[in-house]
Amino acid sequence: MLEVLGLCKSFPLAKPRRARSSPPPGPPDPREDGRTFHAIRDIAFTAEAGSIVGLLGPNGAGKTTLLRVLSTALRPSSGTATFDGVDIVRDPLAVRRRLGFLSGNTGLYGRLTPREMLAYFGGLHGLSGPVLRERIDELVALMRMGDYADRRNDTLSAGMKQKVSIARTLVHDPAIVVFDEPTTGLDVAAAETILRLVERCRDQGKTVLLSTHHMHEVARVCDHVVVIHQGRLCFEGDVAQLRERGGSQALDRALLSIVGAGEGEVADA
Amino acid sequence: MRSPVLTVFRKELLEVSRDRRTLFFMIVMPLLLIPLLIQVTTDFVADAKKEAASATLDYVVFGAEALPGLESALAAAPGFSAATLDDPAEIQAAVTDERIDLALVVQPSASGGQHVVELHYNNAPISSKVAPRTKAVLDGLGAELRRTQLEGLGIVDPQVQQAVLEPVLMVPRGTAPMREVLGERIGGMLPYMFIIFCFLGAMYPAIDLAAGEKERGTLETLLLAPIPRHQLVLGKFLVVFTAGVVAALLTIVGLGGWLAWRGSELGGDLGAVVTSIGATDLALIAAMLVPTAAIFAALLLGISIYAKSFKEAQSYIAPLNMLVVLPAFLAMLPGVELDWKTASIPITNISLAIKELIKGTMDYSMLVAILGSSTLLAGALLWVSTWWFGREDVLFRQ
Repeated sequence: MLEVLGLCKSFPLAKPRRARSSPPPGPPDPREDGRTFHAIRDIAFTAEAGSIVGLLGPNGAGKTTLLRVLSTALRPSSGTATFDGVDIVRDPLAVRRRLGFLSGNTGLYGRLTPREMLAYFGGLHGLSGPVLRERIDELVALMRMGDYADRRNDTLSAGMKQKVSIARTLVHDPAIVVFDEPTTGLDVAAAETILRLVERCRDQGKTVLLSTHHMHEVARVCDHVVVIHQGRLCFEGDVAQLRERGGSQALDRALLSIVGAGEGEVADA
Repeated sequence: MRSPVLTVFRKELLEVSRDRRTLFFMIVMPLLLIPLLIQVTTDFVADAKKEAASATLDYVVFGAEALPGLESALAAAPGFSAATLDDPAEIQAAVTDERIDLALVVQPSASGGQHVVELHYNNAPISSKVAPRTKAVLDGLGAELRRTQLEGLGIVDPQVQQAVLEPVLMVPRGTAPMREVLGERIGGMLPYMFIIFCFLGAMYPAIDLAAGEKERGTLETLLLAPIPRHQLVLGKFLVVFTAGVVAALLTIVGLGGWLAWRGSELGGDLGAVVTSIGATDLALIAAMLVPTAAIFAALLLGISIYAKSFKEAQSYIAPLNMLVVLPAFLAMLPGVELDWKTASIPITNISLAIKELIKGTMDYSMLVAILGSSTLLAGALLWVSTWWFGREDVLFRQ
């Protein structure tokens, strides 16, 4: 289970921006206070084991920062989160042992094969010998990577690469899996494979956090949804509640309504 | 369960060994290209010298009547051919246009006085043999005139003639062994090459393992592995360090191979110097390159992790090249010796210590001090690099 408790993350603003005499065009960003950029503020929610929580919000809302803080890549400015009771600030290494993280722009080591890459990350998570080999074989079979598991990563297609990334995320059988826009840039078949895998993780009792811009994915797999806008949590509930709160059966319209984007903010096609 | 440092090291080494650029700088260049370059250069220089020594020199003489015997001496000298030129004012243009190689202008002299002969030639080419070849002809003519004049004065015995001309003669007898003399001349060049190739060998792996990971999007994934940051940095550092050491050692092997193959053609003294460098000296030279590689690895890794991309890292590291070249180059300058002052300058101290080892004049207490201080410096740089790797604003720089 994931519990997020009043999480904040701020960054010092770059000096030229601080010294800028005239304000930038458009309304001022409420997250800036002159010297500091508050990327996320007072984020709190819970994700139960065996559920998929959708993390929604427009670009720049703070989703990636939140995921980086939760995954211990960034240290929170204040607040904390716990993974099955393990605190991300006090024991980040223990959190990483429980966590699998997949991003849409996750790169691969081009000069390694999928099998070598899985062995590397498995090794970093403390797996070795026959246990590691069996786990790799299992993932290769599960992801149907047998045809290219021994080919160099830089020769693989985008869909194949994403499968390798997923296998890498799951090599240590994490209890909590974070997917950050995992289907971005993938064709329908590859995206479907990933969504099935996300569902499979839930069925195995894992806690799944899914950040996405695709509302059909939210409608299909998410049990719970949190919406972030301008660094703050502005909705938490299930998909039905999101529709109700947004006043539309169409999830994209409901989301736009919640984050306060009027028709004027949506450019005409 | 394997140590995370070893896991990172093995993976990075595997990846680096599949990178053509790294293999080129780490293995091909020091092992093959350096001996090839030296061979081509020495062949070229030897050919140029040979050609300069044997080429026919077209000459003209003005005022030959003031120095009887000059024209006949030139005519009798091998490799000289008389040419014509109407006016002494055309000499410079004729030399520039390569119509003639040299012009001799004999100044009028008082009866019995010294003959002054001006030599006009192109003195720009380093390999030019015009002046020494012409001087040899004029020296021969001068000796003949001197002998005639001394005989006219009644001094016939050649030994007495020599004593009259040079009543005091200094004969230098150097006490330094030939190894030290030649080591002083060429000893600065070798560490320069070792250090440069050590740096080049470490450069590409360092860029690939830090800035390259950032650019490919693999760094963020790696940072989420459950291992302490210093172990991750140490694993990467060891690969870059290994690449630097391998490149430096292969440079020694490449040069050694070339000397074994063609060293005998260099002449007796140099061959003797090369063979007098024993296994212990070679081991000590290699030992000096170990902290050098560690300094480069830590420095390059620190710079590389700051950069957002491969290209940006290259743009930071290019000026660093100069910071490496200059201290290494200092050891080649005449008069720069290893003392406690120069021993405190990083890289220069390594360069000078290798030079002393080649010369066979190493002060071993200083060697220990240099090894120790360089190792400490490498350790400090590695600590900075690790600290750098832990900074969010460096790792996620926008």
